[in-house]
Amino acid sequence: MRPLLEARGLRKHFPLRGGVLQRTQAWVRAVDDVSFEVAPGETLGIVGESGCGKSTLARLLLRLIEADAGVVRFDGEDLTRSKESRKRINYLSHYNALPEEMTVRSALEFYARIEGGDVDAVISLLSIENLKDKKISDLSQGQKKRISIAKVFLNERDLYLLDEPTSNLDPEVSKEVRDILLRLSKDRIVLYSSHNLYEANDVGTHLILVRDGTIGYFGKISDLESKEYRVGIKTTTDISKMIDAKLGDGGYYVLNVTTPQEAGLALKKLVENGVLVTEMRQLDNPLQELFEDNFSRRHPAKTEPRGES
Amino acid sequence: MSNGQGVVIAKRSISLSKTFLIIGIFLALLSVLISSLSGLIRYVGTAGIPINATSRGLDLGTALPLVSVAIQVFAAILFATPVLLLYVYDKNNGVLEYFLSLGMDQGDIYRQYLKASLILASGVVVLEVAVNFVAGLVVGTDVLRLLEVSSLVFALALPVVSFSTLIMMSFSSLQKQRVGANQPLGMAIGIFMVMPAYIVPLALPSLAIVIDFLLAAVIAVLSLLTYFSSSRLISREKLLP
Repeated sequence: MRPLLEARGLRKHFPLRGGVLQRTQAWVRAVDDVSFEVAPGETLGIVGESGCGKSTLARLLLRLIEADAGVVRFDGEDLTRSKESRKRINYLSHYNALPEEMTVRSALEFYARIEGGDVDAVISLLSIENLKDKKISDLSQGQKKRISIAKVFLNERDLYLLDEPTSNLDPEVSKEVRDILLRLSKDRIVLYSSHNLYEANDVGTHLILVRDGTIGYFGKISDLESKEYRVGIKTTTDISKMIDAKLGDGGYYVLNVTTPQEAGLALKKLVENGVLVTEMRQLDNPLQELFEDNFSRRHPAKTEPRGES
Repeated sequence: MSNGQGVVIAKRSISLSKTFLIIGIFLALLSVLISSLSGLIRYVGTAGIPINATSRGLDLGTALPLVSVAIQVFAAILFATPVLLLYVYDKNNGVLEYFLSLGMDQGDIYRQYLKASLILASGVVVLEVAVNFVAGLVVGTDVLRLLEVSSLVFALALPVVSFSTLIMMSFSSLQKQRVGANQPLGMAIGIFMVMPAYIVPLALPSLAIVIDFLLAAVIAVLSLLTYFSSSRLISREKLLP
């Protein structure tokens, strides 16, 4: 399948300036030779620690900042040159980008005047009728985020770029916002950046792990999940002779499996043998391991001396 | 952005700060008063006090309406100042970033805020020119002089407001701190630009009109140069929060 979105060799280095004359002392490699492609209908989770270059990558894709090198193509068109292609994309930043002195309805009308769209329809879509006459400055963070999402869905787009949409929200509101976003962007390409691995796992079909401006991993999440992982089982009896599990840390019998079905079969066997299983859980997550492999040790500062960028 | 966006941005600016508008109105009234003094002085002159009553023979009847031009221009700068506040506010809240994400460039964004500042400035200029004209007629100022002053206010105010707005938007974009500390600087630039308009009527009264129009032309050219170069000189990332 032809990729709808394609990034090739994207690079952005920022100068670190200092001294009286603000001369360049070093370069921060915010994004360094990043390439990937996304097919229609795929949801790509972009994950990484704070400051690893996720937002810079998102901004480069939309040409909110100019790349030092590389190209971004959307449906074959160079995004840096085609304003028409940009109209097929919308962007939700972790900033709400709302005129706080306005009411919800006026703010949405303000944006609808710029990009078109039906304000009443989006108010209904987001179920925010009860908020439409309130001033944005009087809303809670979660409500503001809903309005911010409403502006993004004033028009239907082919690609949604969501940069940490749930940052600064409590877990319950985060889940609600995530669900709204996924419901509304169904069947579209979604690029979803987050520093939360589990969130990316929830929303994504594919994963990009960004580390120091480079890609640590890019692939299907399902590929990761098919690798062997450990399941911990707590029981009242010794089960090491019934299934291939050994007693390990935390009082769990540890079973190595490659699919959830294997774990289910082991559980069935235990129940058939009259074993009382008090707890069963996945002890480690392949995504978590991948994350820890990339981030557990501190990396040297991602800067390089002046003149080498 | 549609043309109506300039009006929306102007309204948003007013809702953000009304202090500058109040000071602007005060200055506009002051300028009307100063300009009207010329008619009163002329009236006093006919009662036996020479018009050229200053030690250097300065014709206050001619000079005061021209001095009031500079004050009227300053009132226009003050009226446009809330737009600069809004620009900084929108930059910090990610509104400018969102505009860019919709496919606009720096020039498109600057144009809308510039339009809003000109809408606000034009509002006060029209008002003060109208009041000044009527007040001038009442106190007996020469009609030709009133027409000259009125056209000078328009010719000078709009380029000065354009230039100071563009310069301040550029400064605000380049400023690293998330504060709108540029407003005093914007006003200072505006005052500096119209400084000759304060001095020339007193120092070179016979050439004041010509010099003021020349000044307006120079500032208009500077505004255009700033407008066309700012979107090239200031990178897109400077508009991000």
